[in-house]
Amino acid sequence: MSRYAKTLEQLGVPTAPCTAINVSEYVRGWDRLFNSGMPLRYTTLPLPIAGVSREMHEAYVAGSDPITCNPVMHQIVDALTKPLTNDEQSTQSTGEAQEPRLLQPDTEDNLQEFFKQKDLTDYLPIVLPTEERVAAMLKGTSHKPYELVKTIAWPGGGRRLTVEKVAVSAVMAGAKPEYFPAILAVATMAPFGNSTTSMANMIIVNGPVRKEIEMNSGIGAMGPYNRANATLGRTFTLLSRSAGNLHAGKTTFGSLGSNLQYNNCCFAENEEALPKGWEPLSVQFGYSRNDSVATVATGWTYHSCAGELVTTYPPQMLIRDYMRSLSGMGSAALLCADPLVAGILHSQGFTTKELLARWLSKNVSTPVQQYWGNGMIATAYTSLGLQGLEPYATWQRLPPDSLIEPFVDSKAINTVVVGGQTNTIWFITDFKAGKGISIDAWR
Amino acid sequence: MTMWVAGTAGVVYLAKRRVQMSILETQQTGPGSSGKITVLNPACSSTMAERAPLTPRTFSDLNDKTIFLVDIGWGGPKAGYDVLDVMKKWLAQNIPSARTVLVAKKGSFGQDDPELWKRIRDEGHACIIGVSC
Repeated sequence: MSRYAKTLEQLGVPTAPCTAINVSEYVRGWDRLFNSGMPLRYTTLPLPIAGVSREMHEAYVAGSDPITCNPVMHQIVDALTKPLTNDEQSTQSTGEAQEPRLLQPDTEDNLQEFFKQKDLTDYLPIVLPTEERVAAMLKGTSHKPYELVKTIAWPGGGRRLTVEKVAVSAVMAGAKPEYFPAILAVATMAPFGNSTTSMANMIIVNGPVRKEIEMNSGIGAMGPYNRANATLGRTFTLLSRSAGNLHAGKTTFGSLGSNLQYNNCCFAENEEALPKGWEPLSVQFGYSRNDSVATVATGWTYHSCAGELVTTYPPQMLIRDYMRSLSGMGSAALLCADPLVAGILHSQGFTTKELLARWLSKNVSTPVQQYWGNGMIATAYTSLGLQGLEPYATWQRLPPDSLIEPFVDSKAINTVVVGGQTNTIWFITDFKAGKGISIDAWR
Repeated sequence: MTMWVAGTAGVVYLAKRRVQMSILETQQTGPGSSGKITVLNPACSSTMAERAPLTPRTFSDLNDKTIFLVDIGWGGPKAGYDVLDVMKKWLAQNIPSARTVLVAKKGSFGQDDPELWKRIRDEGHACIIGVSC
């Protein structure tokens, strides 16, 4: 919101921005220094804002700013009328918060503790990134250490993530140099999800690299049973913490957080077990089977079917039922299906992944009040409906019990085949797959 | 450990972090000491934003002024909008000569609305905007 307030101030309009207490420290600290550059006169309100009564809002407005202890409305009037201080008029030149390339030498125990104190890890032991280990990791790619992988804009500061910085996190995570091209591809999507809604990510690898680095796409592929799966996923976490500069309560605000962010649900698709006619996820995104590709998906929810299939209820029916509990945000769903499940779905007439996606798009229905009852949906789509955009405008007019089909875009419903064929198990998630990223480009 | 080349002296946020780093530095000895190893730093340098001043406050009260109250849309239609509606009523009761305009910004919370900002510049004297969560 600071960019809106800044725009108004620069148009000559005195502005009093209001924020909830969860991001109060961020807007006064990091956001001011690295994003807006403007000492905006924020007023803080308690939480929650959404989902509470009018009486609660009246109490907030009649009460005091929990940070300054000043009466809310008096503070807002002051924000709009009080003369500026010297600091508020300043255009003093800016600078850079520099991080040295090398840390001061110390013992292994002290350095392990230092990384934790500096909040640069996932609080599990790391492999210390010595110059020798980082140099060895850099041999896993032809790209130069100083090459830019991306500039990380969030949460401000424009941090330059170089190949060498990625190598440092890869060493810390325990990765091998041969994993490095895949790690670099995934690093282009860093940092991981950061939202008060406690989102998470999923990393799916396709193509020949799966075999080259011995990723697991079979038994236990989505569990802690493979070094490549484990360290590729963990590197994304460590990159997000360090280069992403994500610190709980300061620059990241997931209320509960997500346990998936320890590994980002990293696995390879079991391409060898795909039913006839089913293409690997990367091929669906336009790559060839000879291309090595990483896909990073973003979502929240992860439901397991929990038990094997039964003959009286085909799998697509139970998948449909479980999808009714997903938010429908972005029309997104991602099905992780054991090859045995994929084979049965194929025998049910879903001879391509796309046919299954289209069937689910048409057959998953939820009461419209359930759809709008999700705050994330309300935040994202209410204003679009009020502007007349469909289908949201129609859905806003329907009686509460009316059924709608929220997964309107079948292209946002993806299926990945994974697992070791020890049971007919599937997971349905609300993860939205991004476009695949070439791993070969980072070899 | 962290070096600040900053023109924004006195910022508490940075000062706290610098003190933490200093404490850690004093616990360490110089390079080359026995049993000590050198490692690379995973953190990246951050560039600060250009400083921008607030617009001068040219009136000392809100009497006879037009104040826009803008809902950015966070939390749906009954979250920030309702808080701003309560504020609108407070202004009506406490500064009755002030004119208030309560509006919802177009698009989702992250979508800019330059037309609205221009309208506020042309028709308003001040703005209350919120609520970010």
